[in-house]
Amino acid sequence: MLFPQAPSHRAFRVWVRHLVYYRSFYLAEWAGNLGEHILWLVAFGYGLGRLVPSLDGISYAQFIGPGLMVSVAMWNATYESTYGAYSRMRIQNIYESMLMAPLTVGDIVLGDLLWCASRALIGSTLMLVVLSLFGLVGSLWAVAILPILFIEAVMFAALGLIATSLAHSFSFFNFYFSAIVMPMFFFAGTLFPIKGLPLWVERLSEALPLTHAVRISRGLFIYGYVENFIWHLSFLLGFTFLFLTVACVLVSRRMVE
Amino acid sequence: MPGFVIDAQGIEKSFGTLKAVDGVSLQVKAGECFGILGPNGAGKTTTIKMLHGAVQSDAGALRVLGRDVATQSRLIRAQMGVVSQEDTLDRDLTVYENLWVYAGFFSISKKASLSRIEYLLDFMQLREKWDSQIKTLSGGMKRRLHIARALIHEPKFLILDEPTTGLDPQARHLVWQRLRELKSQGLTILLTTHYMEEAAQMCDRIGIMDGGKFLLEGPPQTLVQEKVGDEVYELRGGVSEELLDSLQGLPVTAEVVADILYLYSHNGLGVMEHLISYGQKDFLRRPATLEDLFLRLTGRELRD
Repeated sequence: MLFPQAPSHRAFRVWVRHLVYYRSFYLAEWAGNLGEHILWLVAFGYGLGRLVPSLDGISYAQFIGPGLMVSVAMWNATYESTYGAYSRMRIQNIYESMLMAPLTVGDIVLGDLLWCASRALIGSTLMLVVLSLFGLVGSLWAVAILPILFIEAVMFAALGLIATSLAHSFSFFNFYFSAIVMPMFFFAGTLFPIKGLPLWVERLSEALPLTHAVRISRGLFIYGYVENFIWHLSFLLGFTFLFLTVACVLVSRRMVE
Repeated sequence: MPGFVIDAQGIEKSFGTLKAVDGVSLQVKAGECFGILGPNGAGKTTTIKMLHGAVQSDAGALRVLGRDVATQSRLIRAQMGVVSQEDTLDRDLTVYENLWVYAGFFSISKKASLSRIEYLLDFMQLREKWDSQIKTLSGGMKRRLHIARALIHEPKFLILDEPTTGLDPQARHLVWQRLRELKSQGLTILLTTHYMEEAAQMCDRIGIMDGGKFLLEGPPQTLVQEKVGDEVYELRGGVSEELLDSLQGLPVTAEVVADILYLYSHNGLGVMEHLISYGQKDFLRRPATLEDLFLRLTGRELRD
């Protein structure tokens, strides 16, 4: 075998393990998610939104709607792949027990990422439900955002798992969140348009993977049409593949001495 | 199956400057029970982790169940059960969920695993804990569940790293009894332990390990007889030089540890008569054990 730790279909069994655990608390999580989503939308969309003139002919609440869906996917995938995965890898020895069964590091990493993305997708779907209840969804194509968010979530989960494999304690994640995730959240055009900001900010924003998820989502959400769709999607897929590969290598180094 | 279940030739592993395993060669046949004894830090756990691929060897050749560990670890693990030293049960799941989810890792469906789970929970006396959370189990129950989990796919070969450390005597006896039963069913077993007498009873062969190497290897009774003797005399509370000198020429080996004199002998009665003739009546006479051999080989100083 050329890659003894390569992922396979057995990643599904890892995903099942996480689902079995999830069954014991999902209702509470859904209730919490819904409450939080409504709070964000009301506070920013309608509270702050009163001060904001319409952007390109749409209300501020409608502008941030898709931005919130995209960022919910990022935050959920990130939490699950940092705090969640660190606990599974370093504290509960769950990865170790899986490696005593016939699973590879690749199976475990892929299973974890698919799980993080599944959970993120649930969060974003609930956000979509809230947005449609508030009558903010402009096009039925908004549903097509979900598969894009799944890819986005796998990408952020892989990035989170890279951080997890480098972390030596939970406190490392404070750094990861403030240095990577927060700037990504603010400068990807989620809450305000990037156009018109200094040129270097615009350029930086173009390089952030989250920006491309926001562009696709906003297009589908409001108009049912995305400019440069292939370019944005390739950008997401490229980074997903890159992060996934690096995560596999780093977790292998952490798990197999 | 032709050949050996374990066939290790000069395997080595270093962590930085520490040579944890320093040229171990070991062959274990199908159906055999082999015990690795050794003080803490001797390299037992590293050796075991090399067998299931969690630690990769720097040098040497290692085949398990006829396959090369370096390239076919996953296929080996499909036929092997591992009970690690640390608790690796899934604390987020119940007892039953732990077992059927783990069966899934061996590509056994939930439905197909049910009868095996029923059998194993009965076998390990955990049936009434079916729906319990892991945190509500005692140490002994957790260890039994661990063993049950390692047996879920009916492995050909079982590895246990200190399966009885930290258990109370009742729990320990139950574990050893179950392991003996598994052995009589033909399962090949490799274990590490600090309980010498239990290892002596259960293992066909043992290896005493220290400094990353096997110092000695063979059937426990033979090793004790050859290296220690038949009997041990323990004399407590100070011994005169005169008595020590008088022992020269007798078929005994003497060892003084703090205020105890140990006499290892092949000819018990002669020694006893000698002691009595010297007016020494306060002594303990007992058969030589694996623990005597262990301490003589690995020394008496603490390792932690």
